[in-house]
Amino acid sequence: MGEAMATTSASALRRDPTRRILGGVCAGIAERVDVDPLVIRVAFIAAAMAGGLGFVVYAVAWILMPAGAGEAAPRGGGPGSVEVALGVALLALSLLLAFRSLGIWFSDAIVWPLVLVAAGGALLWRQSTRQERAPRKERAATVSRTGLGVALVIAAGLVFLQATSSLTAARDVVLAVLVVVIVLGVIFAPWILRLVRSLSAERAERIRSQERAEMAAHLHDSVLQTLALVQRADDPKQVSALARRQERELRAWLSGRTDKAEGRLASALEDAAAEVEEAHRVEVDVVAVGDRELDERSDALVAAAREAMVNAAKFGGGSAVSVYAETQDGKTHVFVRDRGPGFDPAGVPEDRRGIRESIVGRMERHDGRASVTSSSDGTEVELMLG
Amino acid sequence: MRVRRPDLPSLVGGLVIAGLGTVLLLDQSDAIDLRFGTFAPIALAAMGAILVAVGLSRRA
Repeated sequence: MGEAMATTSASALRRDPTRRILGGVCAGIAERVDVDPLVIRVAFIAAAMAGGLGFVVYAVAWILMPAGAGEAAPRGGGPGSVEVALGVALLALSLLLAFRSLGIWFSDAIVWPLVLVAAGGALLWRQSTRQERAPRKERAATVSRTGLGVALVIAAGLVFLQATSSLTAARDVVLAVLVVVIVLGVIFAPWILRLVRSLSAERAERIRSQERAEMAAHLHDSVLQTLALVQRADDPKQVSALARRQERELRAWLSGRTDKAEGRLASALEDAAAEVEEAHRVEVDVVAVGDRELDERSDALVAAAREAMVNAAKFGGGSAVSVYAETQDGKTHVFVRDRGPGFDPAGVPEDRRGIRESIVGRMERHDGRASVTSSSDGTEVELMLG
Repeated sequence: MRVRRPDLPSLVGGLVIAGLGTVLLLDQSDAIDLRFGTFAPIALAAMGAILVAVGLSRRA
């Protein structure tokens, strides 16, 4: 485990905020190549003196390299980050101008386009590496940042073409390409339109299909399971309690009220185990190593694990059910095991949805994986979420 | 005795203005020949230093 962690930390190039002077770029690179940070800092200063390129590289690396552990402020989003970024940009620009006036300079045709490309490319790269979808009010800022990045890269190209006296030739080429694109666009417009509509319809159908599958899996896990329990229950009070609990859960689900997306994975698994234990009178032991926040995907993992626990409780011959969850490096594995007589996973009828939809299908819909191994010594369901 | 921490943007702003004043004074006394090509990087560096100081103080 320790070796695995060491491999992970060695492979990722990250800023080191704990030993930083400015942004921790040099310290992060030094950590990666296992040398004293002073060596890297001297190299950056030397590169900066030789035409100012070191400053540009440092600024780009600061933007692109993610922060390692220990940084309190989120990357780029903290208060004052805009001022710091603008200030660093102005300082870098002033140094470039100073070097230019001192004669330590390559060429206007190379340095200015490079600076513009670096700034625009850094903006675009950073926007593209943001995984989570921004809230609605931040989307305008995201679009404007992307637009600024594109404008800077185009400006870099124009500056380079102007400096090398190739702008007229490039303009003719662009004009020719534009004419060809317009002509082809007019010819193929109906097909392109049909293709776009067909792709949109296909996407909508896929979303509807996934929603249907989610709804079917939810109904299977809740209403159908409760109805099966009601059929087996003898005590009218127990039947009434089951019906009330199911009604509350169904009403909350229909109105979109759910508290499952709050809290942590380990406690959600323990809650699910307690529910299964109460409903099926079978011991369910949960051991969790590591933890993660509950979100839509880990919520699906809990639902799949719950279904595996229900199956183990129903078909495990009364044996205790053990649940082991491990979260490490952003990956979570959950194992649900029983000591029952086992079954043949390939022999499960098509109309049974428990394993196929509520476990395997649900995990696949959330970019996870599920596998079922069964023998005469028991059954193990493994769930994996990246 | 408790020592009060100086306000970073005010400190940097003051130093920057003092530096700019010195440069202009040297130019006035013909000790240096200040032209646009020389003054532009100094002015940009001054603005950059103040912005960085303001940003860092807002983060703290």
